[in-house]
Amino acid sequence: MFWKALIVGLIGVFAMFDSRLLGRENFEQPLIVSTLVGLALGDLSKGLLVGATLELVSLGIVQVGAAVPPDMVLGSVVASAFAILSHTTAQAALTVALPVAVLGQLVAIVVRMLFSSFNQLADRAIDAGKFRKARSYHIVYGPVLYGLLYFVPVFLAIYLGTDIVSGFVRMIPAWLTNGLTLASKILPAYGFALLMSTMIDKKNAVYLFLGFFIAAYGKMSVISVAIFAVILAIILNKFMGNENSAAAPASNSNDLDDLEEL
Amino acid sequence: MAEQKHTSKKLRHKFWQFFWRSWAIQSSWNYERQMDMGFMYGMAPTIDEIYGEKPDTAEKLQQKKEAYHRHMAFFNCTPQLTSFVLGLSSAMEEEYADNPSTFDPDSINGVKTSLMGPLSGIGDSFFQGTIKIIAFGLGINMAQQGNIFGPILAMIISIIPSVIVTYWGGKWGYLQGKKNIQRLISNGTINRIMSLMNVIGLMVIGSMIATMIGITTPIKFGKTFVLQTTLDTIVPQMLSLGFTLGMFYLIKKKVNTAWIMAICIFGGILLSVLGIFN
Repeated sequence: MFWKALIVGLIGVFAMFDSRLLGRENFEQPLIVSTLVGLALGDLSKGLLVGATLELVSLGIVQVGAAVPPDMVLGSVVASAFAILSHTTAQAALTVALPVAVLGQLVAIVVRMLFSSFNQLADRAIDAGKFRKARSYHIVYGPVLYGLLYFVPVFLAIYLGTDIVSGFVRMIPAWLTNGLTLASKILPAYGFALLMSTMIDKKNAVYLFLGFFIAAYGKMSVISVAIFAVILAIILNKFMGNENSAAAPASNSNDLDDLEEL
Repeated sequence: MAEQKHTSKKLRHKFWQFFWRSWAIQSSWNYERQMDMGFMYGMAPTIDEIYGEKPDTAEKLQQKKEAYHRHMAFFNCTPQLTSFVLGLSSAMEEEYADNPSTFDPDSINGVKTSLMGPLSGIGDSFFQGTIKIIAFGLGINMAQQGNIFGPILAMIISIIPSVIVTYWGGKWGYLQGKKNIQRLISNGTINRIMSLMNVIGLMVIGSMIATMIGITTPIKFGKTFVLQTTLDTIVPQMLSLGFTLGMFYLIKKKVNTAWIMAICIFGGILLSVLGIFN
């Protein structure tokens, strides 16, 4: 069981690296993770089946901005190993996946808070002229810490058995999970506010509300609002063009046309 | 021509650096400044090249420190599209090093900031919302029939657009920046592009507030009055907007980040336990 736990733990680390070091290429999706676990544990068809089942659940989860949804990476690694090792159905795997995914969500929130303190450490390293050290917070400590925080629970879950893990997850009181879930919704509000604060002034604040109300009342997606925004920007550019060419004879619209050629 | 060949090899190396470093941008993702350290890491080769691995004068060392700090500012963008911003920012850093008297280094962060909103709005929708759904929609179907090509197909569909966008984004951003940035800044075009980018960015942020936060209230009076339903009929997602504006107010009041984080976490738990929001 030690070797199986080790391999599955490493698959978990690899899947986690996807969104840390590899630009989020979807290696972390349950379908891929479960297939890899299936290959490693010698039951490919079960891996595929569990992967497809979990993928259907998690496909709707889009991790954008600062929102932290249940962590299906951790969930699907443990669940597919569980389904294969204990010969249960894909549906039973789902009941293991979700509590583990919630555990992963809590782990992710804690890591991301921890990294906030790395900012200050890196700033201090730059002040001291230790540039290599400043970079290492990002490229060494970040992945190592993430890796450990994924490897350890997956390894223990497989090594000790999933009963203990789900028992542990059940011990986390519901109020704490609910509370942290609400916190993980408020934190993105902070992230968006930070983003706003670098861009907004009295003159352009109206566009934020325009985007909000189009999406809120029209039930439109971000991409559709983005399309409207681009069209609006093109229209505004026409009006600004007239305004500017009166003030500055250098024809600005030509420069924008130049950009498009390249 | 021979010289060009030599530099093109060096350039390719640079583009691949933008490529890998934008993929690795989330290694230290945090709540305070999100991808700040990742962006600094992405800019490091350019800055080191300009000011030297070990700057020989105190002045250069100071400039290098400033450049590193400049790229420790808040940043958040889809990794695949970050390479474009990295390329452009690198070109601007080089421009600044060449013409420190005429070039305002603040404009580098200005361009970064106005680009990240629209780019991540478009990038996340494209990669997470479109490519992923297509790839895995097909993949699930095949996998359910026990076909190993399901996950393989899903990965191929996921990776190819991602590689193309990341590589060409970095290359295009850098070359474009090299060629045009000075001219665009001196005749005011960049200011105009930035304000138009701001329009797009703010609209996208507005729509993200409406679609991605989802704070609701479970408060009910009696059997018939559900507060959330009433709120939704007035302005859907008004709680999410309210929370964001509240956070914006705290930032404007220059409340310490650590306090805001603590308010978010403990406030979130408290409000949830009291049954006011969920």
